[in-house]
Amino acid sequence: MNVFIRRNLLLIIVLAALFGIFAAAAQGMETQDFVITLLRGLSVGSLTFLVASGFSIIFGLLDVLNLAHGTLFMIGAYIGWTVYVRPDTFLDIVIPFILILSGFFLRDVWVSLAMRGLFAGRMKRILPWLGLLIAILILVVILPRYPIATWSVDNYAESPTSISYLAGQGQYILPPPTSFDEISPILAFGGLIMASLVGAFSLSILGGGKQPLQARISWRSFIGFTILLLLAFIIFIFNDPITNALAVLNGNLLFLVALLVAVGSGALLGSLMESTLIRPLYVRPIYQLMLTLGLSAIGIEMVRSLWGRPEFTMPRPELFAGTGEGCPAASLAGWWNYHCSTMILLDGRIRVYNEIFIPTIGLVVLIGVWVLLKRTRLGMVIRAGVQDREMVEALGINVRRVFTQVFALGVGLAALGGVLAAPSIGLSNVMGESFLLNALIALAIGGLTSYPGAALGSLLVGLLQQFIIKYGAIGIPIPYTDLVFKPTPPIVPASTILLMVIVLLILPNGLLGKKE
Amino acid sequence: MEIKKPLSTLKPNQGMLVTLLVFLLMPFVVGLIEGASPAQVWVNESGQSKFLQGLAIEIFILALYALSYDLILGFTGLLSFGHSMFYAVGAYLTGILLKSFGLTLWATLGCVFLAAILQALLFGMVLPRVKGITFALVTLGMASVFHVLVMSAELGKYTGSDVGLQGVLVPDFISPATERLRLYYIALTILVLVFMLYKRFVNSPTGRVCTAIRENEGRAKMLGYNTFYFKLAALILSSLTAALAGVLHTIYQPIVSPNVAGLGFTVAALLIILIGGVGTLSGALIGAVIYRLLDFGLRRYLGEGASFINGAIYVLFVLFLPFGIVGTWRLKSLGIKAGRERLLGLFRKTNQ
Repeated sequence: MNVFIRRNLLLIIVLAALFGIFAAAAQGMETQDFVITLLRGLSVGSLTFLVASGFSIIFGLLDVLNLAHGTLFMIGAYIGWTVYVRPDTFLDIVIPFILILSGFFLRDVWVSLAMRGLFAGRMKRILPWLGLLIAILILVVILPRYPIATWSVDNYAESPTSISYLAGQGQYILPPPTSFDEISPILAFGGLIMASLVGAFSLSILGGGKQPLQARISWRSFIGFTILLLLAFIIFIFNDPITNALAVLNGNLLFLVALLVAVGSGALLGSLMESTLIRPLYVRPIYQLMLTLGLSAIGIEMVRSLWGRPEFTMPRPELFAGTGEGCPAASLAGWWNYHCSTMILLDGRIRVYNEIFIPTIGLVVLIGVWVLLKRTRLGMVIRAGVQDREMVEALGINVRRVFTQVFALGVGLAALGGVLAAPSIGLSNVMGESFLLNALIALAIGGLTSYPGAALGSLLVGLLQQFIIKYGAIGIPIPYTDLVFKPTPPIVPASTILLMVIVLLILPNGLLGKKE
Repeated sequence: MEIKKPLSTLKPNQGMLVTLLVFLLMPFVVGLIEGASPAQVWVNESGQSKFLQGLAIEIFILALYALSYDLILGFTGLLSFGHSMFYAVGAYLTGILLKSFGLTLWATLGCVFLAAILQALLFGMVLPRVKGITFALVTLGMASVFHVLVMSAELGKYTGSDVGLQGVLVPDFISPATERLRLYYIALTILVLVFMLYKRFVNSPTGRVCTAIRENEGRAKMLGYNTFYFKLAALILSSLTAALAGVLHTIYQPIVSPNVAGLGFTVAALLIILIGGVGTLSGALIGAVIYRLLDFGLRRYLGEGASFINGAIYVLFVLFLPFGIVGTWRLKSLGIKAGRERLLGLFRKTNQ
């Protein structure tokens, strides 16, 4: 025990100092203010943690500083909004998406075809590019004509801004379903499947040349392919009933669907990013910064062109939206009975979604990822990889696949954070940037590659910011004078940065980071 | 012993010399193309030539700034996210000293250089404690504090807070409105001199040690070098150059916006040297030209979608020109030369 204290003396002193500041800050305000500020800090801390934890795992294992993480957070929010407010658009997009994806399930078939040497020499070099060209041509012809119920960024009455405003009032009615006017469904389906098959064929030959693959066809890929096609057809045939069912679905369940879809698409986007763009750059770390910055700019512009520039809101799920009888609730039971949006805690009024729900989800994710890291095989490989990547590779573990999975996990967590943040802070093109900066600061405070450090750092950042904001309103009396110091808004980010600098100068590896 | 031929310095630097010549003649040639006589260009009549001079001055300033970043990132291996502070201190201090305190230009320059050395020492103070990405974050922190200071309402009297510093009276003899040609040549001269100084520095024993620190700091220490002093030297030189770029910025631009103190401006320097090639001095110059022209052209002709194309270009650069323009050229030029030789050889053989 003595050794432990001596070894971690600095850490203990820093933590004690932080706790002292915290206690002093708590002394200066009313109990209800304190509770509200604490809960708000927890809320911001949880959202920051969702960004920071993914960032930290990715940085720890892959050594990639993913500066696009904030943009992915934002993309998650926009995807969640689409599923939640416009389920018809979501279903319309799902069908072509599944069809395009289906061909890639037959990858091993294509690779084994290529390895059998059906076409050798020059054909083998030309054919993939030709196939890719054909696939892109088919997509260019079909996709613009494929009917998708959507909003219009230019027309204000149909813009996401007014849709979400009406949805918030509970007055939004989905537009009539779209129909195949410009192209017959059979042609569209056939074309998409064709493009998918040809594209998957070319891409797997192009990418297959570099890595050794087993030339065995398994029935699993055929089964997957068939299931996907069946799924697409079922959604197509029952498109309207499913849309109606989703639209009248209890808003809470739809929110859950939105969460799952956003996390899933985030994970897909992440694995795609890692396997195509970031993989070639492991040998040139600095250039990853440039790549992720470029991707971040591209992502923001894409979102801007699809959803428009103005900020809009996402309605809160029903469970947290009640305002009528019995509200604000006096206790959690009252909230459960009346689905109140606010509740009274120690004479203070708090918003249930922001200040109770988000921290709860943050805690669940904290524990979930902790269990994943500590109790599963994947987690074991990740932890080992953070310690010593070469050794793990030498033990015959396919680290490359783990890399993709970890990247997908990190981006999925960021997307989850985005959807959770959307009802509380609204959606805007630049919402990710401040969270990315917060997450970076939190990681630096807690220790860049340490998972508990990410949690601690995020908590500190959230609390500090909220306390400074609160003190900006009530003012800090300076002792022995009559002056009152009111922190101005620019001090909010600066205070966390200052904390980071101080912590880093005392403990260069962060609070819980490992010594080198 | 080999006797040095008089032309031996011209031959390896011919590309640089041709570029210099192009820039020296550019105002007059552009004027001639447009139909303005050299005399008109000489007295700064407004026109295409004057506009292009302005664009070129901006590029020179950016190039100076990128050079200074290349010195610490590309040659010494210090990743700093607070580099924009070096530039912003130069820009703001010049503006404040000229406007609020009425100092002469030379006194201002002296103060700026002093401040530049001081802030390099400030950055250097944390050097022994933090390394790698942590150093980047600490410098980011210091630059952010400076950014907040500049933006704060309390100092608004001097810095103009979030509007930016305006209304700086620049001495007449280098005013960008009436004496732009002179300013153009002054900026060009400064750039060339700094570039030569940098070339000398990175090839000097000190610069060699800096490169050694980038490659393997532990080993450099093992060999008996006190790496701290070498890193500090690089930081001071870099800070001085960036501050000089800041001074030129205040002289040329009508407004110093607080954006130059933000993280975005550091990222600009990073992008410039990544485009040109990290650790190649000429890469910083080429990168600055490309970055400024891309930014300018895209915003002018595409408007909204500019940053999309910009981002796409960065991604393409990373994927297809993996070491920047100059870096990739240096890697491939031997191969290209060999290929040309082989082609010529084939040709000769068939002739015989």
